[in-house]
Amino acid sequence: MAAKDSPLKQFEIDPISNIELAGYNISFTNSSLSMLITVLAITLFLTLTVNTRSIIPSRMQLVSELMYNFIAQLLSDTVGDNGKRYFPFVFSIFMFVLIGNMVGMIPYQFTFTSHIIVTFALAAVVFIGVTILGFVNHGIKFFTFFYIPGVPFYMHPLLIPIEVISYLSRPISLSVRLFANMLAGHTLLKVFAGFVVSMPFFTGVFPLAFIVALTGLEILIAFLQAYVFAILTCLYINDAYHLH
Amino acid sequence: MPQLNPEFFVSQLFWLAVFFTFLLVFLWRVSLPRIATVLEKRQNKIDENLSSAKELQEEAMEIEKKINDQINKAKLETDEKIKETINTLQEDVSSQLSLLDKDLEKKVSDAEKEILKSKDDQMKNINNEIANITKLTVGKITDIELSENELNKVIETHKGSFN
Repeated sequence: MAAKDSPLKQFEIDPISNIELAGYNISFTNSSLSMLITVLAITLFLTLTVNTRSIIPSRMQLVSELMYNFIAQLLSDTVGDNGKRYFPFVFSIFMFVLIGNMVGMIPYQFTFTSHIIVTFALAAVVFIGVTILGFVNHGIKFFTFFYIPGVPFYMHPLLIPIEVISYLSRPISLSVRLFANMLAGHTLLKVFAGFVVSMPFFTGVFPLAFIVALTGLEILIAFLQAYVFAILTCLYINDAYHLH
Repeated sequence: MPQLNPEFFVSQLFWLAVFFTFLLVFLWRVSLPRIATVLEKRQNKIDENLSSAKELQEEAMEIEKKINDQINKAKLETDEKIKETINTLQEDVSSQLSLLDKDLEKKVSDAEKEILKSKDDQMKNINNEIANITKLTVGKITDIELSENELNKVIETHKGSFN
């Protein structure tokens, strides 16, 4: 399907070392390498910059604190005091998606967030976790989440299925949003990069300039999608506490 | 589209689970508590400084109040002292003035007495002179020797006319 110069070639997975476990192929691939780089970057940065634990922070420590406060603020704004328990999870998701997107912006680096299976797995963790949380907090009453109060009774046969479907499609919308954004951005970059090479004489500078601008936009989108993923996670957690 | 190729689904899920779990546990147990400690420490420091600043401000206000009190007290004291001094000075001046007045009065009365005395003296001398002149004049003109009694008598009768 992906030809030699296809813009989709960048999304192909190449195994670096073949590993098999219980009959399953769990090869360490370029996608896994990208994840490893992301995780190492996050853990090393957040650990080393705060190593001195100085009250007057260095610039790098300030960046770590800014990220911490950013997510802490987001969580307390959307969920309130209940949200503090989920801070490590939301922070990890935010950082994983953000740095994963950013690592993907490095030329020749694989973007694991452009793979639907990865984003879907993350969204599924959020979805399943939030659903369990809802049942733990409200028991069987959690199903009243699909019942909208203050609506004429004859509307319920229509509204309840819509509510159920919209609830069930949360992981899909959450994962497809991130996946599609990354896929489209990187494909577009690749298409224009192809123009730079194939256009005659110096006219290649025009798509090149476009790539430069698009790279800036992509970095913005990388941040924005991580933010959207985190804030939606927060909102879903909030729903599990306050049904309506 | 390589994303829809299920060949590496399991591999991706496996490594995602491994790395994300590691990330979650590491951040939860190591990184985030560190940042939280730093932030807490800073907040404590700020609170501490704020409270000590407040204390110092209160202290400063107290000191200012003390200073004002002392200034007021000093003002009152000086006012009193000035008044007292003015009073004593006035008393001094009036006593001195009365002394001077007495002195002057005495001097004036003394002078008056002297003047009167010298006037009397002069008047007596004048009588004698008159008597002498009269005796001499009468003697020269008439060769009449006037006795002292006669002379005095005449002078006494005419005294009012030249006095």
